[in-house]
Amino acid sequence: MEKKKNSLCNLFKLSCQDTSPLISEMMDHRVSFVKRLKIKIHLAMCEVCLYYKEQLETIRNLSKNLGREDFPVNTNKTLPPESKEKIKKMIEANK
Amino acid sequence: MNKQEIDTNQWVDLYGDLMYRYTLVRVKDQGAAEEIVQVTFVAALQATHTYAGRSSEKSWLFGILKHKILDHFREVKKNRSFDMSSDDDPDSSDYDSTGHWKKIPQNWRLDPEKSAVNQELTEKLALCLDGLSDKFRQIFVLKEVDGVSTEQICKEFDIKPTNLWVILHRARNQLKNCLEIHWFDGKKQE
Repeated sequence: MEKKKNSLCNLFKLSCQDTSPLISEMMDHRVSFVKRLKIKIHLAMCEVCLYYKEQLETIRNLSKNLGREDFPVNTNKTLPPESKEKIKKMIEANK
Repeated sequence: MNKQEIDTNQWVDLYGDLMYRYTLVRVKDQGAAEEIVQVTFVAALQATHTYAGRSSEKSWLFGILKHKILDHFREVKKNRSFDMSSDDDPDSSDYDSTGHWKKIPQNWRLDPEKSAVNQELTEKLALCLDGLSDKFRQIFVLKEVDGVSTEQICKEFDIKPTNLWVILHRARNQLKNCLEIHWFDGKKQE
């Protein structure tokens, strides 16, 4: 009986290594009820994996922001002058 | 809406740098990014008659640019034929033998919902993207930066959704580690 109880506990007990791919997977599609339960149980006991989950959510939101046409990133980088000249000449020639 | 006039003389000065930066988020190689912008302008010149003035000139050009970036991805994939299996094994280097984190994830003390307005952190993420392998970078960018669907990415790269989830998990872990080193650890010392 004791042994059976133990194996039942283990069924829901995940390590951080088992949980982290599931946390990531959960962001990409709806995972099964059992997986969701396992994640929930682990997160209730593991503060560190909760931080991990927040980190991934932060990265997701930053990425979305980065995708905007007008997001001012790489502002130190400009199309090289010779490239600009080349394109301008091309445009002139095609008129 | 009235048909707007297109002034091609102004294109390079008005949009050149914006388009180049937009491309650099998606394509690591600066030479390739330059070429993509060039090709976009050529295609736009040949298609000026299709410009209906329904959208702004800028969003019309960006529409063409997005297609050219996708074409570039396809070209790279064809030439280098990404090996889609080799490095998709779950990465065990982040954990010890008992399955615990080797480097414990830190509390970034950021509200994930509000973090997107953090300009500095977003710039760091852009830098960290360049540390990913080409394959991881492209897949992560398509999925998370451009919001392309799982189905479409799997079709483009000829992979199964389970492969995609493994790749995304590994890419996210690498980005998290990179941000922790280049942003969070520095913040702690301030």
